[in-house]
Amino acid sequence: MTTANKLSRIELSDWTGQQERLGSFWRERPIVLVFIRHFG
Amino acid sequence: MIVGNGAENFASAFREDFDLDCPILVDPDLRAYRAAGLRRGRVELLSPRLPLNALRALRAGSRQTGVQGDPWQLGGVFVIRPDGELMYRHVSREAGDHPPVDEILEALEEGAEPISDMSGSSAGQVWLGRALSRVVDPFIVSSFDRTGFRIHRLTFGADDLDVDLSGRRCLVTGANSGIGYETALAMADLGAEVVLLCRNAERGTEAVDRVRQQTGNSRVSLEIVDMSDMESIRAAAARLNSTPIDILVHNAGVLPDERVESRDGLELTLATHVIGPFLLTRLLCESLEKSSDGRVIWVSSGGMYSRRLNLEDPNWKGRDFDGVLAYAETKRAQVILAELWAEELRGGPVVVNAMHPGWADTPAVQDSLPRFHKVTRHILRTPAEGADTVVWLAASEQGRRSTGRFFFDRRERKTHLIPITRESQEDRRALWALCEDLSSKS
Repeated sequence: MTTANKLSRIELSDWTGQQERLGSFWRERPIVLVFIRHFG
Repeated sequence: MIVGNGAENFASAFREDFDLDCPILVDPDLRAYRAAGLRRGRVELLSPRLPLNALRALRAGSRQTGVQGDPWQLGGVFVIRPDGELMYRHVSREAGDHPPVDEILEALEEGAEPISDMSGSSAGQVWLGRALSRVVDPFIVSSFDRTGFRIHRLTFGADDLDVDLSGRRCLVTGANSGIGYETALAMADLGAEVVLLCRNAERGTEAVDRVRQQTGNSRVSLEIVDMSDMESIRAAAARLNSTPIDILVHNAGVLPDERVESRDGLELTLATHVIGPFLLTRLLCESLEKSSDGRVIWVSSGGMYSRRLNLEDPNWKGRDFDGVLAYAETKRAQVILAELWAEELRGGPVVVNAMHPGWADTPAVQDSLPRFHKVTRHILRTPAEGADTVVWLAASEQGRRSTGRFFFDRRERKTHLIPITRESQEDRRALWALCEDLSSKS
């Protein structure tokens, strides 16, 4: 399985609490996905 | 898009603080982090550094006030194209290990090439890896190269090295460069206390500093010892024995092009690869047996496959010196010594195994085998790939399940490919006697 495959189905909530499917972010255009260690 | 591992309210505060207009998602269960194959740090994450260079560029004068979420989780950066191709991947090895922004921008350019995407192995990949191993391994030398490693890696257990080694003390000889250095680095990264055993104080100190810097682990120290010099080994062992020892990695190696004598009048290869490590094992035995999970690992070489144990003239007094031959013969002796030590310590808490790293691009190969290096440098493994099985034997649960065995790329391997290299029981006993004799004389 590719990284994109594994990630695309995972649902996470955004900063407002809304659930988003990760794959939806790169459906239209390339995305830079930044995993940070922690906020702040 | 940014993914963080804290709660939503932190995400929105973070978004405001940094004036960001990109989406931010929260992943407190670390599901996406795991799917992306990101690492969890096992070392002290000390300095409050910025999460990302990119963010530093976004806003100068940032501050870090506190940490929430899982403080051990490390980050990473990925560029994914709409067709699912992975264009860029950077997995942080430590806190503060951030990718250069221009690399990310390059990956976004039109016409950029996708990178190979093997973040973890699926069942299909494991099967493929096994099938390919069966095809490649009979041509055993060809699987020693980096392609061999990349094929074998498909069968590696993803969680084998998901271990916490804090509380374990690990000694690595010849640790200032190459496979020894990578072993020390990985063990420190997994949280172990690491002692680098080096001949040269300057290079040793430099290596200790680099390991500390790269891992953030401060429990890394230097012990000066010359593995060809029995007196030096005795002195070092006396100092090392004052604290319990869990893991001993015999890695130090030499490949001289002419016959050189050690301080004790032994041929240097024999002294460094065989007699010295034998003595060190003997002297540290008691400390190792106090560990609940003691491990001794001998870093041999694939070159040993070509030689039978030869005790006729181990000191090269009566034959013209051939460095490569001396190397291969002593590497064969190491594999047998690992088996003999395993027998000696069987039933106790200490396991003893040997391994070979494949052909890796290390300073030793560059200096001692310049022609070999010139021809093969494009197919050589990295030192870290060469060290992988050492680390696996030293750190994983699997590493304590066998004793007296020989490993390559995390799998047990035969120690003979051709019958003619098999030694007799008598020769094995003679090797032990030779080691006892030569290590006690001086």
